[in-house]
Amino acid sequence: MESSLKNLARACHVVSVFWVLVLAIIIFVDVSGRFLFAVPLLGTPEIIKNSVVSITFLQLPLAIYRGGMIRTTLVYDRVSLDRQLHLRSFANILGFLFFLLTALSSWGPAVEAWQIGEYEGEGALRVPTYPVRFLVAATAAFTALVYGYLLYLDWTNQPEPDKRDISRAC
Amino acid sequence: MGPEVIFYSLAVLIALVLLGVHVGIALGASSFLGIYLIFGDFHIASSMLGSTAYESIRNQTLAVIPLFRLMGEIVSQSGAATDLYMLCDRAMRKLPGRLAAATVAGNAAFAAVTGVSIASAATFSRIAYPEMRRLGYSRSYALGVISGSACLGMLIPPSVLLIVWAILTEGSVGALFLGGVIPGVVLGLAFIAYCVIAAIRNPSLAPTADHGHDRQLQTKGSSSELTGGLGVSALIILVLGGLWGGLFTPTEAAGFGVLGSILIGWMKNMSYRDFIQAVYDAGRSTAPIMFLLITGSMYSRLLATSGGVNLVQSLFADSGLPIFGIVLIMAVIWLLLGMVIDSISVILITVPIFVPLALAAGVDEIAFAIFGILIIEAGLLTPPVGLLVFTVKAAVPDSSVKLGEIFKGSLPYWLLVLAVAFLIYAIPEIASWLPSKIL
Repeated sequence: MESSLKNLARACHVVSVFWVLVLAIIIFVDVSGRFLFAVPLLGTPEIIKNSVVSITFLQLPLAIYRGGMIRTTLVYDRVSLDRQLHLRSFANILGFLFFLLTALSSWGPAVEAWQIGEYEGEGALRVPTYPVRFLVAATAAFTALVYGYLLYLDWTNQPEPDKRDISRAC
Repeated sequence: MGPEVIFYSLAVLIALVLLGVHVGIALGASSFLGIYLIFGDFHIASSMLGSTAYESIRNQTLAVIPLFRLMGEIVSQSGAATDLYMLCDRAMRKLPGRLAAATVAGNAAFAAVTGVSIASAATFSRIAYPEMRRLGYSRSYALGVISGSACLGMLIPPSVLLIVWAILTEGSVGALFLGGVIPGVVLGLAFIAYCVIAAIRNPSLAPTADHGHDRQLQTKGSSSELTGGLGVSALIILVLGGLWGGLFTPTEAAGFGVLGSILIGWMKNMSYRDFIQAVYDAGRSTAPIMFLLITGSMYSRLLATSGGVNLVQSLFADSGLPIFGIVLIMAVIWLLLGMVIDSISVILITVPIFVPLALAAGVDEIAFAIFGILIIEAGLLTPPVGLLVFTVKAAVPDSSVKLGEIFKGSLPYWLLVLAVAFLIYAIPEIASWLPSKIL
């Protein structure tokens, strides 16, 4: 189970990071087209807006699996190993519930957007909203699964991928 | 339940953070609880969660964060930071404590492409520390300048903190970037002045470089070093010049920055493996920031629906405190929070409450942002957590280094950061003059 979970998280991550590169190329084509030929790339704002959401949710499972999320270890470092296990479990259960709830509450609007054919954008380019809505629901569910798996590893005495994760950002 | 729900929510948030829950989850869970308490309806709270997850970061400007992080990681992996450091060392060879001064200057230049302090602290721990120790610099002095000058990363554009602050307050990213320039230069010069004065007063801290060091520098000096140094300078001009010159929006500047950084990597013969590592690391550091923005948005909705901001505002107004007293309380809260959690979380939690208060009291918007960011950054150098200090400890290639030595060495820089922050509060034009002239 571990390898398939890790591989899927990695695959999501790889897709997201190359998506960022593709965004840079789209921006380059849009700006160059606008300056050189007065022809911007149609739909660039919609693509960028939707990409930000997709990239973020695709990156979350691996970031959590690898212990990249921001947390403080002020109390954690000062308690016994047993207590540390309880604190980690509490954090993982809360993470599991949070993402499960995010997935469940995103699913309904995604189905509705698909059924009614919800679109955004005006004029020549109209982008359907359901792909990104489904992606948010699916990746949130997968992220909940990752939290559940970390909890399972802890209680079966298997080492977590990153046992001690202090804040990484800024 | 009324506006007082905000206090319950904040209490839950602090408790969860201290228990080691991921800060983003803590922020989201406490906001969810707050919204549930206001409406007394689980479905309203959960549908708000679902809509926030989808809607909150569907913003074109927010694309700058993954793009700038990618640009910074590619430049870091390309080895351009070492080139910058060597160039700065060469330029400052006449100064006492030259390697420390070069670390500050290199950090300032590196900050203009990375946007985060942690990246600077980790990179310069590996590059500058061994060089300074080789010349006999005191450990505490060398470690202090690395962790202290990493603060410049959050002040000099394209700082992620400036971007988040601008987005939260619906301000201009370009204007806030400009607002950080002069304070960044003032702080950098203050750091260099301290390095030089400390080295003159106590030469044992930073012995003068021998001829061997200069000869080695000449040998090391190569076209690759020049490529890296000039490449980074060109990238800064492209990104920030394009943005301030009205050529690009922030998102477009970041997109061009990514392509420019790839060009630098190619010119520096960056390996495919290093490139993939940079792309991979960029993703790892972006996800937590973006997730915080989602849950931070949930918290903003809680503040808006509960009327919590008005409650806090009236509490301060009724207290009869002068403006400076209120700002001082904010600074203490920032400093305390900055000691325990990361800068972005501090901004997300406090800015929606503090900014309306400060603006109502007539404080300049841009100066207040720079003041706040400086105080929050000072928290990163403060025990017990001091994130920058821990980063230096983890990255420095010397396992015998003690945390206490780094904290001790960082103290003068911590004081300078606070001094510059209050200087900006006293003379807001230091931050607001440049944006008013250019934009």
